[in-house]
Amino acid sequence: MALKSDNGRPESNISVLLVEDDPPTRQRLHDVLSAAGFDVSSVASLAEARAALDSTDRAGPDVLLTDLQLPDGHGTALIREVRQRCPDTEIMVISIFGDEQSVLSAITVGATGYLLKDAFPADIAAAVRDLLAGHSPISSSIARYIVRQTQGQTQEQTKAAQQLPLNTARLTPRETDILWGIAKGFSYTDIAGRLGLSRHTVPSHIKNIYRKLEVNSRSEAVFEAVQQGLIRL
Amino acid sequence: VTNLLTAPQTSTQRQLRTIAGARRLGLHLLAQALMAALCVLLLRLPVLSPPDAYALTDARLTQNGAERIVALPDRLAKSPSGDPLSYALSFNAGTVAPGQPWSVFVPRFMSAVEVAVNGVVLLDSRRTTLANRPDRNTPELIAIPASLLRDGSNSLTIRLFVWGPLSGFLDRVYVGPDDELRPAHQRRTLLFVTTPTILSAWHAGLAMIVGIIWLMRRHETYYAALSAALVLGFLHAFAAVSPTPSPLAGWNAVLVASAALEAACVLLFVVTLLGFRWPRWGWLIFLPGLLIVAAGFYGPALVYKANLILVIPTVGLGLIVTWLAIARKAADRLDPVTLLLGCGFTAVMTCWVNDLLSLLNVTSDLRTFTARLSYSLLMVAIGIGLTWRFARALNEVDGFAQRTATMLSEAEDRLRATFAQEEKPARAAALAAERGRLMRDLHDGLGGQLVSIVALSERKGGDGDPIGDAARAALRDLRLVIDAMDDIDGDLMLALGAWRERAEAQLRPHGMALDWQVRSPSGLPVHPELHPWHVLQILRLLDEAVTNAVKHSAATRLTVILETVEPAEGRHGRIVIQDNGRGFDPARTGAASSGHRGLVNMRMRARRCGAELELTSDGNGTRLQLDLPKRFPGAEHAAG
Repeated sequence: MALKSDNGRPESNISVLLVEDDPPTRQRLHDVLSAAGFDVSSVASLAEARAALDSTDRAGPDVLLTDLQLPDGHGTALIREVRQRCPDTEIMVISIFGDEQSVLSAITVGATGYLLKDAFPADIAAAVRDLLAGHSPISSSIARYIVRQTQGQTQEQTKAAQQLPLNTARLTPRETDILWGIAKGFSYTDIAGRLGLSRHTVPSHIKNIYRKLEVNSRSEAVFEAVQQGLIRL
Repeated sequence: VTNLLTAPQTSTQRQLRTIAGARRLGLHLLAQALMAALCVLLLRLPVLSPPDAYALTDARLTQNGAERIVALPDRLAKSPSGDPLSYALSFNAGTVAPGQPWSVFVPRFMSAVEVAVNGVVLLDSRRTTLANRPDRNTPELIAIPASLLRDGSNSLTIRLFVWGPLSGFLDRVYVGPDDELRPAHQRRTLLFVTTPTILSAWHAGLAMIVGIIWLMRRHETYYAALSAALVLGFLHAFAAVSPTPSPLAGWNAVLVASAALEAACVLLFVVTLLGFRWPRWGWLIFLPGLLIVAAGFYGPALVYKANLILVIPTVGLGLIVTWLAIARKAADRLDPVTLLLGCGFTAVMTCWVNDLLSLLNVTSDLRTFTARLSYSLLMVAIGIGLTWRFARALNEVDGFAQRTATMLSEAEDRLRATFAQEEKPARAAALAAERGRLMRDLHDGLGGQLVSIVALSERKGGDGDPIGDAARAALRDLRLVIDAMDDIDGDLMLALGAWRERAEAQLRPHGMALDWQVRSPSGLPVHPELHPWHVLQILRLLDEAVTNAVKHSAATRLTVILETVEPAEGRHGRIVIQDNGRGFDPARTGAASSGHRGLVNMRMRARRCGAELELTSDGNGTRLQLDLPKRFPGAEHAAG
């Protein structure tokens, strides 16, 4: 099969590091991605993932797919490390529900996408390809969550609801409008039409939004706050 | 530096204040001068007298055996021995017409008279106790019995009794036809006898009202002072001077001399009313009055002496200090009350000085005393003014209470609104926290296990494995429950946005496309009363419809239309789900089939939300129309 990803590289050259502790799920994802032509290596813990990263002579895997709840720690720690060591790696978090807290906790440390654990095989491969093409997936509930954070939810309320403190100050009004559209279930085409954009720019806007939500590694204080939030997850 | 800069400023300010105060004081004094002048003019008006033709002015006065001619009015009548002074007069009655009675009119005398015509005593004023009061201007009109009156010359003898330290006084005496004399007598009686009585009644009434006010408001001393002054004034008016010794004579005398106490009370009243502090030594003003009361134990004679020595100076001092206190207040703040009070006391003082000068024979007055009259009038005015002020204050209190109640209810409303405002995010936060907790639990337990089942079933049997499908359905339902719990502020579009993603994921493996159409600009209307429970019902209903389409329709496209419709019965949201499948006959669906059960379930969910479900199906596909209610029913009612 001469499968090609959007960026033109053959998929057999695209390396995927899969970190998932549940054996059946790990095996299933491994099989699905391998079947789709990706060069998959899968591990079950943070320690194994770090060992795998150290052993690679390259700048790191093209894609990191990681669960958050791992036996020896939280997946966000791995995401942060990979984000710093291998800036070119696309990072996706694997979530059972695709809920805002687990997805956004990963996004604030550098992930740009998420994958549902029970997604159909075709959807799994498509999600990875889309991510490599620069299209970050976003769900209605995540969009809603981010928009709500832009709308002046106070620190106390965030704390009371045990929610993540998101730095939404840098989002532009247009980006907020896009998020609203997604939250209300409008398609990218609808949103583009309503906002006078090209349909193809909407996904890149979403990636920008994710990048803006990423906590700057220099802002240690904010990072710590995120850590606090994560520990409570 | 600050001192240098500010000191001249404050001194300038003080100077300015002083100038303003002086201007106010000047204005006040000018008003008082005008008032005094007015009073003097009024006092100069001729006292009511009968025609001069009937006046008798020449009298032969017999005193201590000596006889001399005097002209009436006689101001210098003194009787050191206490014997009466006998004035012998004569008048010519001419030819007395039958049926025309004649009278003797004695307009003013001090202290008592005995009138005899042709040797027959017709009146002894000592028997009329009120007439004995030197401070009253009691006139006497004596009808001469027709049998006594002779044609031509008649003799009139008037014996004047002079008591105590005061000098006696006998005004001109009028003799003539009763018709000619009576009008003057009646007017004098009205002015000097009836009016004081009426005013006394007023005093009594006001004393009671003001006294009750004071009982209820003990801290307002001036009500007490005024009430005391009014009571004393009332008693004073009815105190009688009895020339004959009696057990009560001393007390009566005390009452006559109560003016000293009254003056002290009035001073206390004015000083406290104007807001000045009553100095401790101020109580000394009550001392003379109390001394007179003490003198009352020793009989009237001592009282009369004390009266002259103590009462007049005390009253004078009281009046002057009162007047000065008002002027002092006027310098601070010249308001109508101060000005009117000042004018009132100026009038009383003018009358009092006039009386005093008359008594001391400095002026050629006819000894018509007006101080008491003007004082009574002023006290009644003050009493009415205070009662009026009190009633007005009550009105203000009412108004204030009204305003306070209004303000209070407004504040309450605001507070309630604030509470509601604060409660809303708190509730939302609680809901979010609960949702987060549930999610963590599901992540750790059920969710992970269901995902494992999906993975295992897929590896074993590949796609379409019933166990895998069941696990996926369970996961979908879990997500649905979690979504329904999210706080969407009544915007159903937000819940449907998340549902759309799941529906798409569910349809995609079956080769079905989801056509999502939002017809109205904002989709569905916002329902503030929307409860997570309603959301769950609607999402489950829609899920059921999608599942049915996937299982039975063999369609390639599922269209979801969201819109707000405005029929005649009101604006409401509408959700339409239609497929391009083969359709089914709703009537032929077996009662036991899963399709039938699904339909029953959908209808039940719609009914619980107050929504209307309409299902049509034919060879071109199935169409489900859900008309949302204008207002969602309460969750409690819906759950039943």
